[in-house]
Amino acid sequence: MNAELEPLDVDLGAPRRRRWPVVLGILLAVAALLCCGSAAVLARVGRPYVARPYIATAASDTGDADPDRMVRRAALAEKEIDKVHPKGVYIVVDTYRNRLHLIDKGKEIRTAICSTGTGIVLRDPRNGRRWVFDTPMGERVVERKVQHPVWAKPDWAFIEDGYLPPKDASERFDNQSLGDYALYIGDGYIIHGTLFKSLLGRRVTHGCIRLGDEDLEFVYRHAPIGTRVYLY
Amino acid sequence: MLRSVLASTFTSLLAVASARAGESTPDPALVATAEMEATLAKRPAVYLVLDPTRRVLEIRARGTVLDTIQLRGIELISQQPLFGGRHPVAPPMPAIWTVTDGPGDRDREVLEPESLRPAPKPDQDDSDAPSADAATPTPTPPPRETPSSYRATLGNGWDLWITEELPSQGRWGLFTAAVRDGLARLRGQGQDLPPAVTLAMTREDAQRLHHLLRSGTPILVASDIE
Repeated sequence: MNAELEPLDVDLGAPRRRRWPVVLGILLAVAALLCCGSAAVLARVGRPYVARPYIATAASDTGDADPDRMVRRAALAEKEIDKVHPKGVYIVVDTYRNRLHLIDKGKEIRTAICSTGTGIVLRDPRNGRRWVFDTPMGERVVERKVQHPVWAKPDWAFIEDGYLPPKDASERFDNQSLGDYALYIGDGYIIHGTLFKSLLGRRVTHGCIRLGDEDLEFVYRHAPIGTRVYLY
Repeated sequence: MLRSVLASTFTSLLAVASARAGESTPDPALVATAEMEATLAKRPAVYLVLDPTRRVLEIRARGTVLDTIQLRGIELISQQPLFGGRHPVAPPMPAIWTVTDGPGDRDREVLEPESLRPAPKPDQDDSDAPSADAATPTPTPPPRETPSSYRATLGNGWDLWITEELPSQGRWGLFTAAVRDGLARLRGQGQDLPPAVTLAMTREDAQRLHHLLRSGTPILVASDIE
């Protein structure tokens, strides 16, 4: 009987402990396989951005059999560009950096910090009419110049401040906001002075170009009527 | 900056063209380029000139270079499956591309007062105006951060993608991008965008180009224009 009751010389816990790493390994392997499989399926479905160097093909309709005609075409194109190319005094306005450059015969004679349009859209709550406060891009011409300009405030100047535009025109005149000089470049856009000097260098205007007093006077004196203005 | 402003650089295209072709016949591509630029320069609008060879994008008007942007890279980028994709053929050049929809059209802040009240007379103090429930004067808006990565749609079926960094093209980068896109597609958020001519440039250059890419902006694409 005693022999029957003797404990067996077998460690019942050992096989269980040895199985766990295997089971864990299998589980991890399955999980990894599942992850890889899913990733592979997703990658198969996905369409990532693939880049290639830009090597353009030549346009087919640029050639001409007759060399003389090619020379004439080239000369004509050159002449046409030269005809419109700016000469003498002109103004360049960089609306991102808010800089105005006055150029004379290819040399910069003045660089000024300016303010340009915000790009904001204003909507009239009464009728949905909208104004875009962009400084225009491209070429313009100084159409007229005025000393001590008076600003006839347009409707948006009131609406922006939450006011109804006045019916009496005399209530629109403002002889301070534009500074001492104004160069009109068409469609209501003006190069003028400002009361808000601290905002120079920022995009805060309704499309006009604002300059500090000294820069404005310099530009006024050196840019005659007809001066071309390039805005970008 | 004025190095570019002063570079009113419409050069003698004819001379360039002739020199390239050994003084006999002008290079047809350069002649075509000059003719295209002449067409653009006739109009007062600003146009862009992309030169893939010199890796520059120029802002021009009337044949004059107003500013120059140096590009970090020019790539054709399209969405492709990882295996077996077909790359679109690059658009030919010289050519004029036209922006049909750009960030300069879309990214706009809109202001609209809730209501309008009578304007004070010029000699009247505005202190009696209601302030709590009526529209108040619009304060100077704080400067908005201009995006440095955006797309413009071109009339030729391509997009123009302006970005600071080109997408990673390493094997692992492509694989992870494919997985991410696949997951987005499974969630119904996947997007199929047109192929894009992608211009990589500095953050500031991308931001200052942003407002110029608006509907109608022409881009002359040609090589070796100076």
